[in-house]
Amino acid sequence: MTTLVLACVIVAAGLYGVLTRRDLVAVLASVEVMLGGASLLLVAYAAAGTTPAAGQGYALFVLAVGAAEAAVGIALLVSLVRRGRSRTDQITEVRG
Amino acid sequence: MSTTLLWWGLAALTLAGAAVVLLTREMMRMIIGLGAFLLGIAGLYAWFGFGLLAVAEVFVYVGGVLVLFLLAITAMGRDSDSRAIARHFDIGAAVICAGLSVVLVLALRGLLPASAPVAGVTVEKTADALLGAWLPQFEIAGVVLLAGLAAALAIVQGGDDE
Amino acid sequence: MSLLRSAPYLVVLVPLVVAAALAAGIRVWGRASAWVALLGPLTLLAVGVASLGGRTSGSLTWLRVGERAIVVGYNTDALAAVMLVVVGVVAACVMVFSIGYMHGDRGYVRYYALLSLFTAAMAGLVIAADLVSLFVAWELVGACSFLLIGFWYEKPSAAEAARKAFMVTRVGDAALLLGMAVLWRATGSLDLAVVLGKAGSMAPAVVTAAAICVLLGAMGKSAQFPLHMWLPDAMEGPTPVSALIHAATMVAAGVFLIARVWPLFAAAPASREMALVVGTITALGAATVALAQRDIKKVLAWSTISQLGFMFAALGAGAWQVAIFHLVTHAAFKGLLFLTAGSVIHGSGTQDLREMGGLAKRMPITAACWIAGAVSLAGIPPAAGFFSKDLVVSSVLHSAPWAGVALFAASALTAAYAARATRLAFFGETRSDRPAHESPWIMLGPLVVLGVGALVLGVVGGPLASDLGTAFEPLSLPIAGTAIVLALVGAALGWRSARPEAAAQELSDSWRGLTRAAFSGWGVDAFVTRFVVRPATAIARATDAMGDRLLIDGIAEGVASLASRVGGLFAEVQSGDGQWYAALMATGVVLFIAAAVWLVR
Repeated sequence: MTTLVLACVIVAAGLYGVLTRRDLVAVLASVEVMLGGASLLLVAYAAAGTTPAAGQGYALFVLAVGAAEAAVGIALLVSLVRRGRSRTDQITEVRG
Repeated sequence: MSTTLLWWGLAALTLAGAAVVLLTREMMRMIIGLGAFLLGIAGLYAWFGFGLLAVAEVFVYVGGVLVLFLLAITAMGRDSDSRAIARHFDIGAAVICAGLSVVLVLALRGLLPASAPVAGVTVEKTADALLGAWLPQFEIAGVVLLAGLAAALAIVQGGDDE
Repeated sequence: MSLLRSAPYLVVLVPLVVAAALAAGIRVWGRASAWVALLGPLTLLAVGVASLGGRTSGSLTWLRVGERAIVVGYNTDALAAVMLVVVGVVAACVMVFSIGYMHGDRGYVRYYALLSLFTAAMAGLVIAADLVSLFVAWELVGACSFLLIGFWYEKPSAAEAARKAFMVTRVGDAALLLGMAVLWRATGSLDLAVVLGKAGSMAPAVVTAAAICVLLGAMGKSAQFPLHMWLPDAMEGPTPVSALIHAATMVAAGVFLIARVWPLFAAAPASREMALVVGTITALGAATVALAQRDIKKVLAWSTISQLGFMFAALGAGAWQVAIFHLVTHAAFKGLLFLTAGSVIHGSGTQDLREMGGLAKRMPITAACWIAGAVSLAGIPPAAGFFSKDLVVSSVLHSAPWAGVALFAASALTAAYAARATRLAFFGETRSDRPAHESPWIMLGPLVVLGVGALVLGVVGGPLASDLGTAFEPLSLPIAGTAIVLALVGAALGWRSARPEAAAQELSDSWRGLTRAAFSGWGVDAFVTRFVVRPATAIARATDAMGDRLLIDGIAEGVASLASRVGGLFAEVQSGDGQWYAALMATGVVLFIAAAVWLVR
């Protein structure tokens, strides 16, 4: 139970960071926080489930994909910074 | 008793790290906070009995992703962000996030019994699963990683035609 | 002959078709429009003459409501036939006259289209056999009057006068409609034969109410006090229009209407009383005003009001056939006088009597026609006006002596203003610098025709009376003698007042004040403007500001601006800010999960 609460709080906190932070690196970091929270929850479920080993494998997948996502995110960040835009309020093309 | 205490300690570490990531203005501090957070998560994995996962987490995240972030910050000279909770939007976002956490807990409440570490999750069993029943997924994960690598290169590479 | 008699609706159809054709080709028709338009009045004349012998009628059911039905139809009895002849002759004369008078006017074709339309409406009015068709034609006649008074619509005074005419007659029209409602309620039908048949058996209050409503309608159309203010202003229209509509035909429609529904009046003594009083007051009052006028057309306008007052008094005295006789002679001499005035205006270039003088030398034929008309107006034998007016006065004397005396006075005044106007315009020194010239024959022809009529129509009195089902009493020497003496005395006084030295003389203060008061129509117009028109306009303006602009426009524009603002709010959602979008999505997720949790609980 408590792990559930912890995981949910972590996810929510990460979301806050995604929504609020202006610097793109900070946003990426917050995404990592959310991922961490989600996989924590996954692990907790696996521990309580029938095949914990599969749960570990699953969590490894999440780990790998999360790392890949961070790498692509940094790549995007680099190309944006090259154009001089490194803050979220500078990227507003999709405007109504 | 001591496991519970350990759990609480790890939880505190994790939350503290997350809080720093969210709220601090300076990038360096944020990296430290992220590191703390990731270590806390790894510790919790270990507490649950998933040793391989914990180690993989430390290697990949702390050793890889965190270093990448650090590189990005130092190479591009990102110094500091704006103050947290500066505008009305921030308060609204905080409300939404609080609401999300509450709602998630309510939704998932019935499904999780008390947290307890589990034993017998050995590396052998994991390897059996990954390369046996879950081989396809394993391979696809490899492909995804490769694609991510290629994408990152492509993105960094292109865009010179302004 | 029998064709004309059997298809009397042609009198409406032909001028109507002509009007439509002229209107449709308003740029195409040129000078020919006058000759085409003449087909209308000539049809009226032909049918009228053909129908003098016998009557024709026809009808069809127009509307059915439950068991009650509204039947519309036509009926050419003797009264209708007489009116058709009158309208036809005068309209034809006016149309021919206008070929010269309106020559070169930009609205030439429109003029003839409107005259044709008016002819059709007037014809419809006189042959109507039921109140519905009558009312429709009544309104149409009023509309044509409006359009013709305001013919030169770019002149603001003309537009104003047309509006005023419409408004004032509207008061009467509303009363007429009310009367129709009363009759419908009481008899269940609007067919004249049915309604008039039941007139004797209706409750006194009902038939009196209906009769008085009809009387009010007639008073509006025939410019009787207090609904007379529009007629002098209507002189803004072209003079031939004044001749046709405001002397001979439309204003006589009121008299015709009362004659048409006579059984109602026969059964309601109060209505006859009212007609008598109104007519006498109008006859006398208008004559005094005519004496003080300076514009030749205004003299004739007030004279028309006065003469119609004579007719109403006769109606009030119960002698409707006498009133119709006077209507016929009046149509002849007043139409003549107006057309002659048109000739004078055309030839001398002015309408102001003070600028005229000595025109008899320059325009002999016009002058002769005018004098014929003036003599008839003044009621001097053997002109037609003498006979009809004499009958009017004697019938009124028999029923209400005080009214008869008043009418005697009015006759004297009539002769006075006629003589005055004659002298000022045609005799004496020429006061204008512009040389006057005689009018062309196309204008003089109708004048002569009407002039002859004005002199000899006295003889039709006998046949007319028998056609209308009665016999006029022969001339009584005392009454006729008094009338002739008064006319001559009045004429002499009027002649004297127009002597050249009189213009130079300063009037004493009391006379001047009196003259000014008379000139303005004894202040009736000003009174009505102050106490009726201004409050009504103020109420209308207030309603417009509060009800229309504030409320209705406010709602309409408010809805529009609300929609616009809401749209603007929604547009702000798409700010381009990724984190804003993410926040919205997160909100959505939270709400969804919350809803799911709630529903599964």
